[in-house]
Amino acid sequence: MAGNVNLTVKLCNLIFKNPVLTASGTFGYGVEFSKYVNLNKLGGFIVKGLSLYEKKGNKPPRIVETPCGMLNAIGLQNIGVERFIDEKLPKLQGLNTHIIANIYGTEVEEFVKMAEILDKDPLISALEINVSCPNVSAGGALFGKDPDMVYVLTVSIKKVTKKPVIVKLTPNVEDIAFIAQAAQSAGADAVSLINTITGMVVDVKSRKPFLANKTGGLSGPAIYPIGVRMVYEVYEKVKIPIIGVGGIYNANIALQYIMAGASLIEIGTANFIDPTISIQIIKGIEEFMNEEDVDSISKLVGVVHN
Amino acid sequence: MRLKIVEKRQVAKDTYVLKVENPALFDILPGQFFMIRINDFNYPLLRRPLSVAGFSNTIDFIFKVVGEGTKILSLKKEGEFIDFLGSFGNGFTINSSKRLVLIGGGIGVAPLLYLKDTIENGYKLKCESYFGFNTKSEVFTSSGNVSTMDGSLGFKGTAVEMIQGDLDKNSLIYACGPLPMLKKLALLCFEYGCEMQVSLEARMACGIGVCLGCVVPTVNGDFKRVCVEGPVFDYEEIQWQEM
Repeated sequence: MAGNVNLTVKLCNLIFKNPVLTASGTFGYGVEFSKYVNLNKLGGFIVKGLSLYEKKGNKPPRIVETPCGMLNAIGLQNIGVERFIDEKLPKLQGLNTHIIANIYGTEVEEFVKMAEILDKDPLISALEINVSCPNVSAGGALFGKDPDMVYVLTVSIKKVTKKPVIVKLTPNVEDIAFIAQAAQSAGADAVSLINTITGMVVDVKSRKPFLANKTGGLSGPAIYPIGVRMVYEVYEKVKIPIIGVGGIYNANIALQYIMAGASLIEIGTANFIDPTISIQIIKGIEEFMNEEDVDSISKLVGVVHN
Repeated sequence: MRLKIVEKRQVAKDTYVLKVENPALFDILPGQFFMIRINDFNYPLLRRPLSVAGFSNTIDFIFKVVGEGTKILSLKKEGEFIDFLGSFGNGFTINSSKRLVLIGGGIGVAPLLYLKDTIENGYKLKCESYFGFNTKSEVFTSSGNVSTMDGSLGFKGTAVEMIQGDLDKNSLIYACGPLPMLKKLALLCFEYGCEMQVSLEARMACGIGVCLGCVVPTVNGDFKRVCVEGPVFDYEEIQWQEM
């Protein structure tokens, strides 16, 4: 009975053909994966975090493996929003999927400027606001830990764009639902969670932190129960859709996030290990629904709370 | 792509050769590498980059056990299948008008063996090779001129010491090995005015250019990815002081 299930998800005015997106920073600008994945089969993909101007990123070492996970401190290396529009977006023309831009700034004005620029581009379906990068000295998670800042930032961005605004939240806070509520009251169309969890690995030979940035963000299968728990908590407190992300590497975990309250999910680190994983997860979700006789994915969202 | 192990054996202390069936689907340039999945489950999580040490009816790798991932890999048995992604990276380029000098240190000798084979048997050109190891028990090749730090086999000293007085402007060095060796070579190249293509090693998560974890500093003040713009670089591109 494959193919009879309804995987579509509605978020504001956007229809996603399935709930599977790929997470920012793990999928390049999309083009890098076109060799492995039919991009049109994805619900959408979120491009590498953009800043107003090019960012060179942190010094290496930038990554280190941990048990069932990895720590990264890339530092948002990217080509800047203008070059992204000029050089990368033309290669993504004609795709039948949603391209979401992830944006980062060190001050509100930078976010607003980028939102203005991207608002004009019809290829971009939505904006994901990165207030949760743990690896940059200004902005990033400093914004995301402060509900007032999240509020001000979200209001300011909503003023300049008609595209749906998704606020990506950091798990490195005491009460993530409180921050999600701030985003909701500021008019955010959705929240995505979780970004990486701050961690450190020490190199005992040199007796120094392994990463040049000292700390990094933990991602990968090891973190998924934290993400699921946080999606669960946020679902209890907000009405706007939740996008679940963190450690998803198979359909089972994707479904856990959905049942905890996520309408859409993002695949991150797993793309590094298997570039075709997103497609396999879509198939896996479909199979589960067929086996369990669930005709629409929307019927699974938040069922844990029933 | 899942490939069958046709041979796995220890060739030196902590050093193994791994040969997998060649599906004959592609050509591989010397210097290119594959991302190898250690287990089908999530531990260790990341693939390991291994450069090709030989390419015929098998694809050959030589690796040293340096951590848990390579330890598990060393315990794989012939007949087992391993998941490969690749090939990746740019590879070495061969210039027939130059005096070709291969200089390798330790496990860095591995990709140079395939380069040597390509130069000699593919291009029918001559090359000189200088391969350095710590001690006799770590030597895994009888090819080329071998040196050991303790003098237990061949020349006593480093591979660089074996050749350094004999480099000239016409030399094109192909190098792979530990960072101090490469830095020393970079200085020598600058001094003698010779060219060098250097293959760099880095921790990487994806191998396809998206994680941005494997970057090295360049003289332009920015970073290049070892997996896509490398692993082979012109030594003049690299900001050696920052390495």
